Amino acid sequence: MSILSTLLQFFIFYEIYRVLYHGAEQVDGITLKAVTTNFVLSLGLGAVFSPNDYFLPGKISDGSISTELLRPISFKGRMIAENVGNSLFDLIFKFMPVLAVALLTTGMSAPAGATELLLFVISAILGFGVLFSISFAIQMTSFWLINVWSITTIKNVFINVLSGSMIPLWFMPEGIRKVLDFTPFASIYFTPVQIYLGQLSFRETAEKCIIQIVWIVVIYAVGNVLWKKGQQKLVVQGG
Amino acid sequence: MKDTLHLMAVYTRTTAKAWFQYRIDAVLRSLAVFLREATGIIVIWLTLMKFDTLNGWDIYEMFFLFSLLFLTYGIMIIFFTGLRDFGRTVRDGSFDRFILRPRGLLFQIVFANSDWFAAIGHGGLGLVLFLISAGKVGIKWDMFSVVYYIFTILGGVLIQGAVFLLLAALNIYLLQTDSLKAMIYWNMRKFAGYPISIFNKVIQIIMIYVMPFAFVNYFPAQYLLRKSDMAAYPKVYMYLTPIIGILMYLAAYLFWRFSIRFYKSSGN
Amino acid sequence: MSFIEVKNIKKTYHVSKRRSGIPGMIANLFVPKYEKREAVKDISFSIEKGEMVGFIGPNGAGKSTTIKMLSGILYPDSGEIICSGAVPYKQRKNYVGRIGVVFGQKSQLQWDLPVKDSFELLKAIYRIPDDTYRKNLDRFTEMLDMSGFIDQPVRQLSLGQRMRSDIAAALLHSPEIVFFDEPTIGVDVLGKEAIRSFIRELNAEDNVTMIFTTHDMQDIEKTCNRVIIIDEGSKVYDGTLMGVREKYGSSRKLEVEFMTDTVTEPIEGVETVDTDPRHKSFIFGKEIHINDIMAELLQKYSVRDINITESDIESIIRKIYSKEETV
Repeated sequence: MSILSTLLQFFIFYEIYRVLYHGAEQVDGITLKAVTTNFVLSLGLGAVFSPNDYFLPGKISDGSISTELLRPISFKGRMIAENVGNSLFDLIFKFMPVLAVALLTTGMSAPAGATELLLFVISAILGFGVLFSISFAIQMTSFWLINVWSITTIKNVFINVLSGSMIPLWFMPEGIRKVLDFTPFASIYFTPVQIYLGQLSFRETAEKCIIQIVWIVVIYAVGNVLWKKGQQKLVVQGG
Repeated sequence: MKDTLHLMAVYTRTTAKAWFQYRIDAVLRSLAVFLREATGIIVIWLTLMKFDTLNGWDIYEMFFLFSLLFLTYGIMIIFFTGLRDFGRTVRDGSFDRFILRPRGLLFQIVFANSDWFAAIGHGGLGLVLFLISAGKVGIKWDMFSVVYYIFTILGGVLIQGAVFLLLAALNIYLLQTDSLKAMIYWNMRKFAGYPISIFNKVIQIIMIYVMPFAFVNYFPAQYLLRKSDMAAYPKVYMYLTPIIGILMYLAAYLFWRFSIRFYKSSGN
Repeated sequence: MSFIEVKNIKKTYHVSKRRSGIPGMIANLFVPKYEKREAVKDISFSIEKGEMVGFIGPNGAGKSTTIKMLSGILYPDSGEIICSGAVPYKQRKNYVGRIGVVFGQKSQLQWDLPVKDSFELLKAIYRIPDDTYRKNLDRFTEMLDMSGFIDQPVRQLSLGQRMRSDIAAALLHSPEIVFFDEPTIGVDVLGKEAIRSFIRELNAEDNVTMIFTTHDMQDIEKTCNRVIIIDEGSKVYDGTLMGVREKYGSSRKLEVEFMTDTVTEPIEGVETVDTDPRHKSFIFGKEIHINDIMAELLQKYSVRDINITESDIESIIRKIYSKEETV
């Protein structure tokens, strides 16, 4: 998403919640300020964390994959390096403007403390890891599918709805929240946001970060199995 | 006339056949568009489970409001895919080919290409939302409201079609209007599913007078639903959709006719 | 009056200079900045019915622009064009129904559908009567040997097959004039030959007027009886292919091998090029008779071998483009 559309998206949610709160101090113990903070951070990080979903599919569809694999550099390594590089760029050129505009126009919470800010940064990086590994695993399906546009789009719908960037997970219906606990989606943005706001005890913070790491490892491992099988398929077909 | 209808039929058969070449992919693509467009609606549905109403609009009324937006786009895109993609049509030389065929240019642009994925994705979503909400928002579907509804859909199609036509005509001078289109159409469309009364004045003015999405869904829905937030706007706005659609389309068409003379082939 | 009459056409492009960013975009909208580029300066020619004319010239010379004006895509800024009784850019619908255009680089076939489906669509677009369609389709299928792939999707065809299909597509409505823009680009040698012989046959049988642009001089040599060379927006030559050689390729080269190492005296009007002590080349124009030089050389020196070369058409054309002296 471009900066402008991220900002507009933020602005729309902000207006919706302003109206929904209707002057109320808090809903379920959550202040409007916390909701705003949730949107700024998760949409802002969302603008930064945009893995290139077509890195591998693009190379498979134009046939360049077989020569790419012969290069002496690790293909997966390049995939990660490129995404990290782009994210750093986006951090400066997308996240910062969103943050600046949000601070000027709406007012969001400051981090609960210096420790929380530090832990937030760590957890946000882990959140990026989760997001990347999901993208990584989905990209591997391109070895078998002709066109991954559909599956990628559907993946992003799930992330948008369930990660808290469009509806703060505090307000998710109870039943869905319970199911969400067994999925990686809350690990992407919501865990860092909760840490930032100081909603988690030190113990809870540690637990949630470990869950993030577990998701990264599990999803990446699944992707890696597909990667191995996919390469075999490539060899069998003669590239 | 018969000959024109025949050509329309052959064109439609051709685009549908091409679309159906990859059956599974076609179904998946349409589903993906459907879900992508439904994202905002799912979110507001979940949100209103918690908060009940948004500025007085309950979830079914919101569905109804959204359905007008998606139905009109779904219908519009069957015809106006060629205008949505006009920049590409010019750049890749397809427009030169249209000039070389003994048929009207706009006719060819309209019928030579249809994005069936978008049509089914958006239109299907609009239809689903309409079916869910139409019986639950207290509309009496008598003769008069049905006629009103049909004209509203028509007006909504024409308003958005006019914007695409206008942008296509501008393309003749600028060769590149994608970012302009993103700015005035796609970005403003993000606001269009919600009651405009929740936004600040600047957005409201844009939605009413600049890129009049408010006439595609908000004001017509107000005629049928009569929510209290309509008090902030002139009552007559509830009746203007078809007129605005026709006027905008006419203006865009005249501008197109005027502009097409300046077309310069992009060369090599 | 000739079948195609072109008088003093000019075309200047106003190339808009774009500014970037959103403010730049808005500025472009209201205060566009333009740069002028004269694509066609002042070109006139006439073509008779049934002629096959090749337009050649370097990239950006204005030949594409000329063809686009002839086919009705572009308006000339000034001058007149009348093709088969119509002004292309004014009577578009009437005119384009009677012409066919093949763009070698840009197919008009439906990518995902069998070739035949595209033909059916064209039948509807051009309102081709059933019997004409049937007759043309059968004839082209045979002449272009398309029966093997006419039911295959275009995306599966080789470039040569696709090009043949595209040519047939442009001819289904029995046009009076056909424009070929690079009709053999990327096609292999056999495929090129098939296309050229089809074009010759069609011209001979139906008296169709054909206008080509191409970079492949073989295309021109094997099909056209006339070439028009365009360079920097102006016509620099109009006549037969033989005439090009006469006009520009008149110099000849005499390559001589001597029995022993030899130092030759300069000959008036002849350029001498030393390759090594035993090999020399003598280059001279048509004002010098070849016998005179031969006589002088044979008389003065002991010669082992003599070879006369005349420059071939391809290199002559290349030289015209690059404005060098011709060899």
